[in-house]
Amino acid sequence: MHQLKHNPLLSRQSLRKGRVMFLLLIFVIVSGWCYVDGGIETGPYNLVYPANFGNRIQIPADNPTTKQGVYLGRMLFYETKLSANNKLSCSSCHQQDKAFTDGRAFSPGVDGVLTPRNSMSLVNLLWARRLFWDGRANGLEEQAVTPLTNPHEMGQALSISAQRLSQTANYPVLFKLVYGDEKITGDKIVKALSQFERTLISANSHYDQYLRGAYQPTPDELKGIELFNTAPQPEKGIRGANCSHCHGGPKTYMELFHNNGLDSLPKDSGIEKLTALATDRGRFKVPTLRNVALTAPYMHDGRFKTLDEVIDHYSEHIEQSPALSSFLRGESNEAGGKSLKLNSIEKKQLIAFLNMLTDSAFITNPAFSDPHILSTKNKKH
Amino acid sequence: MKKQLLIACIAFLSFTTIPFISQAQTIKISGEVSTPLTIDAAYLQKFTQTTVVRKDRDGKDHTYSGVILSEILKNAGVTLGPELKGENLTKYLLVEASDGYQVIFALAELDKSFTDRTIILADKVDGAPLAPADGPYRIIVQDEKKPARCIKQVTAMQVHFVK
Repeated sequence: MHQLKHNPLLSRQSLRKGRVMFLLLIFVIVSGWCYVDGGIETGPYNLVYPANFGNRIQIPADNPTTKQGVYLGRMLFYETKLSANNKLSCSSCHQQDKAFTDGRAFSPGVDGVLTPRNSMSLVNLLWARRLFWDGRANGLEEQAVTPLTNPHEMGQALSISAQRLSQTANYPVLFKLVYGDEKITGDKIVKALSQFERTLISANSHYDQYLRGAYQPTPDELKGIELFNTAPQPEKGIRGANCSHCHGGPKTYMELFHNNGLDSLPKDSGIEKLTALATDRGRFKVPTLRNVALTAPYMHDGRFKTLDEVIDHYSEHIEQSPALSSFLRGESNEAGGKSLKLNSIEKKQLIAFLNMLTDSAFITNPAFSDPHILSTKNKKH
Repeated sequence: MKKQLLIACIAFLSFTTIPFISQAQTIKISGEVSTPLTIDAAYLQKFTQTTVVRKDRDGKDHTYSGVILSEILKNAGVTLGPELKGENLTKYLLVEASDGYQVIFALAELDKSFTDRTIILADKVDGAPLAPADGPYRIIVQDEKKPARCIKQVTAMQVHFVK
């Protein structure tokens, strides 16, 4: 022991190790400082959207959108430390190239158990008032808590997530930049996530371009638009698919909840679970049609793999039940008909229109992509 | 003794689960009201019943019966009648349905001193209760060309000032 202590070779080694560690520490501090201070813009975030989307936007007074908040929210959206097994992030079920869905009927959580309902597309949430297939969350901040903490999703208490982030080099500094205080809390995590989610605006599809006079639709697309927006009146010879009753307007989104005749006896009773009202049986949120060509499979349980199957459902397979929404009763292109009865050409035209809702700028926008990829790129490839 | 306890437990459980099995639909009235109300079918029976005839989607005339909306709102202490002046004229009624659909009426549209048009909260059509997909409560606006404000499955009504 005595000998070791005075071995000049060993002391030199430990000195060298110490120097290396010291230099590394300096490097980490400096790079961390540059990372936060050099690259992040601060100030109010300007949410840009077309005037025809309307200003009925939803931003809580206690969570104004800032550039630094959106930056942090994006980091957190792609952060696997928020999951119990360190493998899942929000982006696992909400992938940008799939318009923030995951291509599965149900999604596996940290314990491998599948979610009971299909992962919804995250788009144009700035206008969303009620979240989830049953609308049980009033606002994004309230919504985010469930997937983060549910044992069959990301499975980690917010307090633990906050603690884990506190132990990193960059997050305390980032939280200070956003909230003026290094202390990380669950509330701050969900607020930042919500700020980022509000920026996921899709408004540059061919349909948007058509609405502002910058795109000339094909004849099939035009016919599809007309069918989409028309209620059938067979006695007047007017054919239609009546889609805009629920998906109308420039956002193709109205916050409505309907029983759309998927089953006469639904396995999942939907909103009835919350209200205990028989008329709410099998009633679910009407999803947006933005980027619908990228968000298969469809419905709350992902039962339809293609858009053809979806349209066939509305055209021929509506199941009658006491809770079926009234606008789907007796709506038909045939006089006295029980179902919509679109012909095969009309179905193709409708799909031509639905494809117009794909917004390639949205699914490739670097502002929505994984910010961690730059730093982990070398490890991955 | 154990048996009695078991029976008591079952009785207690059945009591607590009954409301979740079949709940009656109610309407919550809130906002700029002096008496927030939660009303149900029995409450509506206390009022004079009024009928309105109007066409439905089938193109045929139907007789709807129910209660004049402003009468219910008066019971909740909404500023109608002589009070409906000045800044109170910037108040509106937001009606919400269980499917998330919402429509508004300016208070002046509902007040007898402003209009003879009758707007009722109906619970019957042609003498029978409304169909489940339309009811149990639906607003019927007399003579309005479009049925869009004849909101079905009403669950809530809120009175607000325009901001």
